[in-house]
Amino acid sequence: MTTEITVPEDLWEGDSEAVITAWLVDDGAEVAQGDLVAEVMVEKAQYEIEAPVSGKLSIAKAEDEVVTKGTTIARLEA
Amino acid sequence: MSVVPAIDEASLPLQRPTVGDGLAAEEALLESICQGESEFGLLAWSPTDRALVMPRRHERLEGFPAARRALRERGWPILFRSTGGTPVPQSPAVVNVALALRCRVGSSAAHLEWGYRRLGDPWCDWLASLGVQDADLGSAPGAYCDGRFNVRIKGRKLVGTAQRWRRVRGCRDMAMLVHGAMQVGETPETLVELVNAFQAAIDDPQRFLAASHVALIQALPDLDLEAALPALLERLEVAS
Repeated sequence: MTTEITVPEDLWEGDSEAVITAWLVDDGAEVAQGDLVAEVMVEKAQYEIEAPVSGKLSIAKAEDEVVTKGTTIARLEA
Repeated sequence: MSVVPAIDEASLPLQRPTVGDGLAAEEALLESICQGESEFGLLAWSPTDRALVMPRRHERLEGFPAARRALRERGWPILFRSTGGTPVPQSPAVVNVALALRCRVGSSAAHLEWGYRRLGDPWCDWLASLGVQDADLGSAPGAYCDGRFNVRIKGRKLVGTAQRWRRVRGCRDMAMLVHGAMQVGETPETLVELVNAFQAAIDDPQRFLAASHVALIQALPDLDLEAALPALLERLEVAS
């Protein structure tokens, strides 16, 4: 089963773009639910993103890539 | 790294740690919310030393090692912070206020704009109470680390703001740290020149303008800041 990790839809108003500032785990790593996996910055705010479920992480957006609300940045294969 | 001040200083509204210890104290404030130990925290500090502070992602810039050496030789070491934005000088001429809160997901309080207004609106009210009638929130084109929620005086940046969000352990709530750095002393030229030196060292053509900044001493030259600061902190507490 695949679970997507997405940029939150309700964190900010408007359509400002965000950027992936850091991946804290490697592509292909096994992560546990709740593990901190990435940081996204928008409007001078750093937002920490956790793994919603346990599984093998597949990164879809690299560091410094621009993302928007709802963008899938990674997938977790349980 | 210790952030525990001497006992006599603990009750003072304005703490005076090193830049590194001040940043660590802000991180501890956020973590106390994440651990469920508290739902509100407030910290005011002004550093005893100086550093150019930026998010860690700047470390990936090609010219960063040389820039770090060049600034260290000028007496401005580079340190990293956990909030977003771009390089900002920290020195005894800067007063920082950090506010940490627990936010319920799904409520109106769980987004960035609310967080900035939660810090910035009481700050503008405090300035108004001191006689500054034209303070507001907004961008200051030409300023370093510009954003949409600076505290401005006549359009010039007085306080830069930034945030960090982290999940509260074991639930869906979020912990928010919103930070404001207010230039109180020196002239904007001094700090802007330093940031521009970093820009040159990393071969970034963007330069910043002193005219886009203002120091509190320019707006309120006779202000006794140590005496006035508690009123700002009270406004930030009352707004909870």
